[in-house]
Amino acid sequence: MSVSLSITLIGVGLFLMLLTTYVLKKGRIPEKYSLLWYAFSLIILLVAIFPNLFAFISDGLGFQVMSNLVIGIILGTLIILTMALTIMIAGQKKKTTLLIQELSLVKSRIKKLEEKENDK
Amino acid sequence: MEKVLLIIPAYNEEENILKTYQKVIDYNKKEKKHYDVIVINDCSKDKTSKICHDNNIPVIDLIHNLGIGGAVQTGYKYAYENNYDIAVQFDGDGQHDVRYVEKIIKPIIDKEADLVIGSRFVEDIKTFKSTFARRVGIKIISCFMKFATHKKIHDTTSGFRACSKELIYDFSLSYPSEYPEPVTTAEVLKKKYIVKEVAVEMNEREAGVSSIRAWKNIYYMLNVCLALLAIKIRRYKRCQ
Repeated sequence: MSVSLSITLIGVGLFLMLLTTYVLKKGRIPEKYSLLWYAFSLIILLVAIFPNLFAFISDGLGFQVMSNLVIGIILGTLIILTMALTIMIAGQKKKTTLLIQELSLVKSRIKKLEEKENDK
Repeated sequence: MEKVLLIIPAYNEEENILKTYQKVIDYNKKEKKHYDVIVINDCSKDKTSKICHDNNIPVIDLIHNLGIGGAVQTGYKYAYENNYDIAVQFDGDGQHDVRYVEKIIKPIIDKEADLVIGSRFVEDIKTFKSTFARRVGIKIISCFMKFATHKKIHDTTSGFRACSKELIYDFSLSYPSEYPEPVTTAEVLKKKYIVKEVAVEMNEREAGVSSIRAWKNIYYMLNVCLALLAIKIRRYKRCQ
């Protein structure tokens, strides 16, 4: 791996780590999700710092160029992440639907009671 | 005497909703029936809500648009809370005829079925049977339904249905937000409830636009078939 690629990867890895720390500090993501992003940036840093180890792995797995393995890992992680997000969104949608329904039912019930009160 | 509720989901139905309600009330008076009505206004952008309130039509205004599944489920929740024995899904656009309610709730009263579908295709009656393309679509869904549940349902997309108290509770807990008719029918069959089809006549929509638009049909078909395949490999238990 060329030195400039190593430097770029180290830069990307560090940026991702700092970004994760920043949003974690601001409380915008829960700790358990930040863990995943830390792992992600750590992998990038490891690739940049120990290219030989990854060259060995990529040869073993039959990749022609090591950068393909790096891209492959990133792509695979992103796909799984997207899947996890789809599942999360579906769960959120269920909860919002439930809230909208229950709130609407309660609202109409209150209205009815108020009308009864006013009629007295 | 069974308590019967007509659940009428309505989205932008200002032209039809009062007429539909009036027909039910007139029918109740004439035939000495006591069908209650609840309109679920799915956050309509037109005057549906105002028309309901001005005319004292029982209505629940959803605070946000949920789509047909979410709206109908709200009706089932209302039916459960108010201890109804039978709930009938009834369109607000004039497609369904209140005279057939008696016919579709009869198998439930007689304990012959848990879910009764008002079907356009079981007996050879002259009625509006939808366009050719849509009939083909319904046939295909019917084949998938047979594959998923080993039961033949002819009118898989009919929104004119009645269900028992047990199913009211079941639906109030979980109801699909998309493609609810074929999906719930298949789920109900998988849970070993008895589903029956009864011949009804349907009218063409009087005004407004059907929720299934032409260009969406292929996408709709694909999703429904996929949903039915998913139901085939899922395991189901009745709600306790």
